[in-house]
Amino acid sequence: MTAPAALRHLRRSSSRRRHGDLLPALAFVLPATFGFVAFYIWPTVRGFYFSLTDYSLLGPARFVGVDNYKQMIDDRLFWNALLVTAEYVLINIVTQTVLALLIAVLMHRLTRSIVVRGIIMLPYFVANVVVAIVWYWMLDPQIGVINELLNAVGVDRLSFFGDTAAAMPTVALLNTWRHVGYTALLIVAGMQMIPRTFYEAAALDGASEWRMFWRVTLPLLRPVMALVLVLTVIGSFQVFDTVAVTTSGGPVNATRVIVYYIYDQAFNRFHFGFASAMSFAVFVLLVGIAYVQLRLTRAHDSDLS
Amino acid sequence: MATLQGFDQHSSESVKASAAAMDGAARRRGVNWGRVAGWVALAVIMALTLFPFYWMLRTSFSTTRSLASGSGDLLPVDFTVGAYRRVLGLASPQEALAQGGTPASLNFWRYLMNSVIVATIITASQLLFSAMAAYAFARLRWPGRNKIFFLFLSALMVPPIFTTLPNFVLVKNLGLLNTYLGIVLPSLLMTPFSIFFLRQFFLGINREIEEAARIDGAGHARIFSKIIVPMSSAPLTTLAVITYINSWNDYLWPLLVGKDESVRVLTVALGIFRSQTPQGGSDWAALMAATLIAALPIMILFAIVGRRIINSIEFSGIK
Amino acid sequence: MRRVVCLIAAALFAVPLAACSGSDSTNGSGNVTLNYWLWDSAQQPQYQQCADDFTKANPNIKIKITQYGWSDYWNALTTSFVSDTAPDVFVSHLSYYPQFAQRNQLLALDDYIGKDKLDLNVYQPGLADLWKSKDGKQYGLPKDFDTVAIFYNTAKLREAGITAEQMQNLTWNPTDGGSYEKIIARLTVDAKGRHGDEPGFDKNHVVTYGLGLNGSGGAFGQTEWSEYAFSTGWQHAQGPWATAFNFNDQRFKDTIAWWRSLTEKGYMPGLEKVGPGGKSVVAQMDAYGAGKYAMVTEGSWNTKSYWALKGVKSGIAPTPIGPSGKRASMINGLADNIAAGTKHPEAAWQWVKYLASADCQLNIVAKEGIVFPAMVQAATPAKDAFARSGIDVGPFLIHPQDKTTHLAPIADHWTDIQAAMTEAMESYLLFKTDISAIDKANDKINALFR
Repeated sequence: MTAPAALRHLRRSSSRRRHGDLLPALAFVLPATFGFVAFYIWPTVRGFYFSLTDYSLLGPARFVGVDNYKQMIDDRLFWNALLVTAEYVLINIVTQTVLALLIAVLMHRLTRSIVVRGIIMLPYFVANVVVAIVWYWMLDPQIGVINELLNAVGVDRLSFFGDTAAAMPTVALLNTWRHVGYTALLIVAGMQMIPRTFYEAAALDGASEWRMFWRVTLPLLRPVMALVLVLTVIGSFQVFDTVAVTTSGGPVNATRVIVYYIYDQAFNRFHFGFASAMSFAVFVLLVGIAYVQLRLTRAHDSDLS
Repeated sequence: MATLQGFDQHSSESVKASAAAMDGAARRRGVNWGRVAGWVALAVIMALTLFPFYWMLRTSFSTTRSLASGSGDLLPVDFTVGAYRRVLGLASPQEALAQGGTPASLNFWRYLMNSVIVATIITASQLLFSAMAAYAFARLRWPGRNKIFFLFLSALMVPPIFTTLPNFVLVKNLGLLNTYLGIVLPSLLMTPFSIFFLRQFFLGINREIEEAARIDGAGHARIFSKIIVPMSSAPLTTLAVITYINSWNDYLWPLLVGKDESVRVLTVALGIFRSQTPQGGSDWAALMAATLIAALPIMILFAIVGRRIINSIEFSGIK
Repeated sequence: MRRVVCLIAAALFAVPLAACSGSDSTNGSGNVTLNYWLWDSAQQPQYQQCADDFTKANPNIKIKITQYGWSDYWNALTTSFVSDTAPDVFVSHLSYYPQFAQRNQLLALDDYIGKDKLDLNVYQPGLADLWKSKDGKQYGLPKDFDTVAIFYNTAKLREAGITAEQMQNLTWNPTDGGSYEKIIARLTVDAKGRHGDEPGFDKNHVVTYGLGLNGSGGAFGQTEWSEYAFSTGWQHAQGPWATAFNFNDQRFKDTIAWWRSLTEKGYMPGLEKVGPGGKSVVAQMDAYGAGKYAMVTEGSWNTKSYWALKGVKSGIAPTPIGPSGKRASMINGLADNIAAGTKHPEAAWQWVKYLASADCQLNIVAKEGIVFPAMVQAATPAKDAFARSGIDVGPFLIHPQDKTTHLAPIADHWTDIQAAMTEAMESYLLFKTDISAIDKANDKINALFR
């Protein structure tokens, strides 16, 4: 080490004792902090302010106090939106998790073929918008191929998107179709962390695949599953794309999910303040859900360690 | 990271061992019907996965006006490449109308380029700045570090729709509607997930290499660019892939701020095209041609680096 | 390479990308590109022709036409106003323009009309006044008008033993549907070839419906139910700018109840089959073209598209005579509006004026035979143009002649009205609620004006 360098090093370590790496650290976090303040903190403050105004985006915002919140609580469609969103989340999460587990087990026990995994992954690379358009076309009651197939085997045609009872499950299953392969691969990754010796021991004991799944795979998979669940619940609460390009919230209000309703009020119906109030409510709600979830699954501890 | 790789090697050896053990078990019991059933199930799942892609292809080569009468045909109805001509703007308005399309001019090359530009800018910039921040959070010691990190982390809970409305007003006030900058801006500098994700990896890097570099007189910029980044190429690749796919597939934000044709990305263009209904019904052949074109770049990317993507996604699941 | 640099610069410095391409909206020589939106793809070629001619006469003004389907047109337009990307000029609709006018988003044309000494009497009587907002300002110049009639498949009519003459004098009432319903029943055919009025008719396996369905009609119902409701003497509201709506009127509810009963009887498809929110995969026209419907109620603007359907020969009949003793049809007139935020008001005015002039309406639009231009002197050429294509549009024109036209509703809060009624109508038509849903929607609508 040359003398000046040693000196510099010495000087740096002495200053580090007092401030640590404060100055370089600030330089490194500056851009991200700017983004954080400008696009997370500031909008949070501003969004709350908008929720207290009557604002059409076309004229100036007018302060109206908590009127929007009062209107929201009285708005049957707001509660309906939360309800159908919950229905979506439930169907989506349950089917996706169960199917992904099934696929993961199959892949884990049968093959490591990259082709198989590639095919299973494929829908994930296609945008929600594309998935929605394609399935809307395939599920049409009059000329959709799925109904043609149903008809061929003697089942009556079903209006997947047009029937109030069928519309939401259909939308949820579309997104399951898109995400299930991705989720399955996440679970496979989790399964690969389970030492093979467990299975070998079980196999030598003559345990069936079924038994191995319940006794070995599932219990050891819990941390991965917890993480997958936290990520997917928050994500699936945001469903918008599929609804926007297929049903636009209909029939009646069967698929008017909360994000679509907020979007509709803010950008089509000139009620930006009201929409802000609803989005603030969703914010509070999601923070609550996330908190409970983290508490229940303890994913919190394992992730931050 | 290191433990993971070690584990992988270990597991691939034990795969053989356990496979041999299973085979032995199977031989004792004769044909393993469970495995056969498993393969059948997997085949069904793969068929369900692939069928919509086939149907896109089949429809895109059909004649729109004939689709209603040949709805059950498994092959294209009245085979034509007219749909691709319409989508790529090669057909005249009269030709398009006659084929059941919209006479609107379509410019999918433009939308494709816009998607590439937007996704590339977001990925490159977000990765750089998030990595820098993650470096400061993971490798540097400074007062308030953990508090600020947890503040950042708490933003993971903020639902995008909540920030979308005010961010729209912000971008509008800045006069950035319908510019690339307006589209990329909110995700340009960071996302809480990126920083969290990278910090986890940076934490695991061996301190000794860094110290050695310091003793050699390397500054933070040098350590970051010459040591931390190269040593984290795997997680960075993973994050890049995820970020790229997410930006490519994003719909709501570009729909709000980038509807203008000059900056319109593919997802938005498809939504609009879907709604350009000639006489009430969409031009389905062209729509399917367009969706295929929209999905193609990512699929090609997938075909080229498929193995790496799959590995990296499995890898992201572990952490 | 320069292009790439420009793109990067555009991205970094927020230069609108237009600056990177040759098609600037304004460049040194004062060239202007106007954005013009419309929703009917069938009319796009004729307005493209008008635009080309206009640019020939005004070489420094270019017109860029964008088309959105009707179901998304107003969403797209509202969003464009909110995000400062509104088109300079757009085709507008009587029910929707008030909410833009009310929020000062439209350019009032009075000064321009005065300056250019335009005579508004060249249009069909009353059409121009519809575009005078309640503040007394003129926002649009009429471009066309339309009415409603019945299209029928001649082959299916013959097969059912119904003559074209029978079709010309149908009667209707909300109780038993009159001779109109008898014909609808007769035209309906099930999978075993039985007609809707025959014993053993299987309403669950219908091959051809007597009457098609194009959605719930929302609060508007132009081609869906307004021709029946108006013929009872009902109207949406008491004239333009009313602050109360009449959806709770018994005559309206009876009409809708009768309409839904067609689905129950198997004569008309259920709403679930034709797609919610009007976003159907198969347009009513295509289903008709594929022989799934024997009759449809349609607007005059779609006439030529019906004639272009392959394999189907159509006839047109006037809407049935209702309890009031008269036929009825909504008359809706379109006009072009200018966005208040346009950067080129003068050029936009030139274009609007051109669209409303004989150059466009008489020489191009009338000859295309797609819509009825608003100018009085274009009426005969338009009718002749239809006749040349073998189409007798008499059943559409009978309404203005007999003065049996009814105005499209003009009121504030239209988007909210539409949302409330669409919800109520859809849930009623899907058999999820009884008719009281419409009363509730009407209360909600009237509360908007308080």
